[in-house]
Amino acid sequence: MTPIEFLADHTFRMVFFGTATIGCIAGALGAFAYLRKQSLISDVISHAALPGTLAAFLVAVVMFEVDGRNMLALIIGAAVVGTLAALAANGVARVTKIRIDSAMAVMLTLFFGIGMLMLRVVANGPFPGKGGIQSYLFGNASTITVADLVTSLAVGAVAIVIMLVFWKEFAIRTFDPAFASVLGFRGRLIDALMFATIVIATVIGVKSVGLVLMVAFVVTPPAAARQWTRSLPSLVALSAAIGAVGSGLGAYLSVALGDVPTGPVVVITLFAIFVISLLCAPRRSVVMRAIRRTRIRKTLRARLGADV
Amino acid sequence: MNFVLGTTLLAVVTALACALPGTFIVLRRNAMLVDAIAHAVLPGIVVGYFFTRDLDSPWLILGAALAGLIVVIGSEWLSRTGLIAGDAPQGLIFPALFSVGVVLISVNFSNVHLDTHAVLVGDLNLAAFTQFTIGGVAAGPSYLLVMGAVLLINVAFIAVAYPWLTAATFDAEYARVAGLRPRLVNAVFMFLVAVTVTAAFNAAGAILIVALVIVPPATAALLTSRLPRMLAVTALIAVGGAIGGFWIAYWLDAATSAGMAVFFGVVFVATLAVTLRRRRRRQRVGTRVGARVRQA
Repeated sequence: MTPIEFLADHTFRMVFFGTATIGCIAGALGAFAYLRKQSLISDVISHAALPGTLAAFLVAVVMFEVDGRNMLALIIGAAVVGTLAALAANGVARVTKIRIDSAMAVMLTLFFGIGMLMLRVVANGPFPGKGGIQSYLFGNASTITVADLVTSLAVGAVAIVIMLVFWKEFAIRTFDPAFASVLGFRGRLIDALMFATIVIATVIGVKSVGLVLMVAFVVTPPAAARQWTRSLPSLVALSAAIGAVGSGLGAYLSVALGDVPTGPVVVITLFAIFVISLLCAPRRSVVMRAIRRTRIRKTLRARLGADV
Repeated sequence: MNFVLGTTLLAVVTALACALPGTFIVLRRNAMLVDAIAHAVLPGIVVGYFFTRDLDSPWLILGAALAGLIVVIGSEWLSRTGLIAGDAPQGLIFPALFSVGVVLISVNFSNVHLDTHAVLVGDLNLAAFTQFTIGGVAAGPSYLLVMGAVLLINVAFIAVAYPWLTAATFDAEYARVAGLRPRLVNAVFMFLVAVTVTAAFNAAGAILIVALVIVPPATAALLTSRLPRMLAVTALIAVGGAIGGFWIAYWLDAATSAGMAVFFGVVFVATLAVTLRRRRRRQRVGTRVGARVRQA
């Protein structure tokens, strides 16, 4: 399939723009998570979001009798429960001597286990519109509607506006927390805001790329972008660009290859971009560094040999 | 042996085989690495299946353990380059490997029983289905033999390498200076963890494995801070949680692996609540005594 045929089709166009939007937003917001060295918290949030999405589905279907696959309801459910799990993990690490990594693993399995139990209940129950609910795990980009795209754009825009408005606060809090407190910034409030942006970045892809792989959307673009740049604004911009391009390309490939889920193909595409960045980025390239090191070693050895 | 009893036994042995090395993983702050290994196992199994065309082949376990090692070695290498910050290295590699597994399945084996859903959740009952026989009588699930062997190897390794392992875990610097070969010990230990996770994968699925490896030792860490006691408490919690979780899931007719994972999580939360309450009461008594002392 040529790219022109691809973009001429409505469904494929939605797949393309939907995934690229998610990649762009997650990439931009993931940059701060990466710089704060808290990338894996998004893995906890995304797994814990499963019971949240199912609870949102049940509430929408049983209480309001509307379509349970409403994107906004899903995002709210995922965000609430994902936040709960991440806060629980941080709380356990703070009040006990259990470290953050174990606390995260415990909360991840607890919440995801509850989600799997609920999935079984929903799958066996008489709920209207439960078809496709299993695809929350790996996502199904071909179900994205125009309304979904608008919702994710709106939610993502809110998060990005938060990031731009509090840019200075975020930056100082990230690079020099002590200086931020000296300047009189409220650390807790800024942390909460940054955390909210990370949560939004993580749950925005629930419908199209699935919960299981969302962590890659948040971690990979900033890690790749970091190899090319040394300033914060360009890191965020480049990370967003890599997220958008990688996701769009991945979406195209997944359609062109046939019956392949979108999420995994996008993750592989993003990882390929990361590997290329690691190998080829001018200043930080692994290859260039190895060559430079051997050259320096050789000159040093030659000089020592001349002296002796 | 009765089918339910055999499955319970398989659950107990799997839980023990996972939780004992888990104690050291929790102490080394590597818990999320288990999550990464458990996800990376999938492509290993798929590639192994591609060559053997046999889901029960031991080559699958080897291939999957190698994939797990790729995550361990790869993320360690990425951190050592100094180019990737914080905990990102693990988050970079395992989703990519997992995705490769999912794509391979959907491209090549969409007709085989290798469902991505089953991979995440696992199915203990399915693993217990094939029975081995002694003298023509069904003696238990054959997978019990595999998990039993893994458990024996883990116990033997921890028993023999205990001094080296503790030194490498608590004070790697000292271990290096004292010539206790911490890097070699770590490599062997992580290989064993990868093999354990892979073997348990068939019975438990990726998520329950993380619960089995991490939750019992994390709960034990709430209760004690001495390593021998922590190992004992971990074993107790693993056995109790496996039996309790399996029977509650069986009784409620819920998904077995998910039910067990939730049960372990609930045990952790309950233990946390009790220890926190006890600590608060002790603090209150402490302040009361302090006030009385000040009055006197």
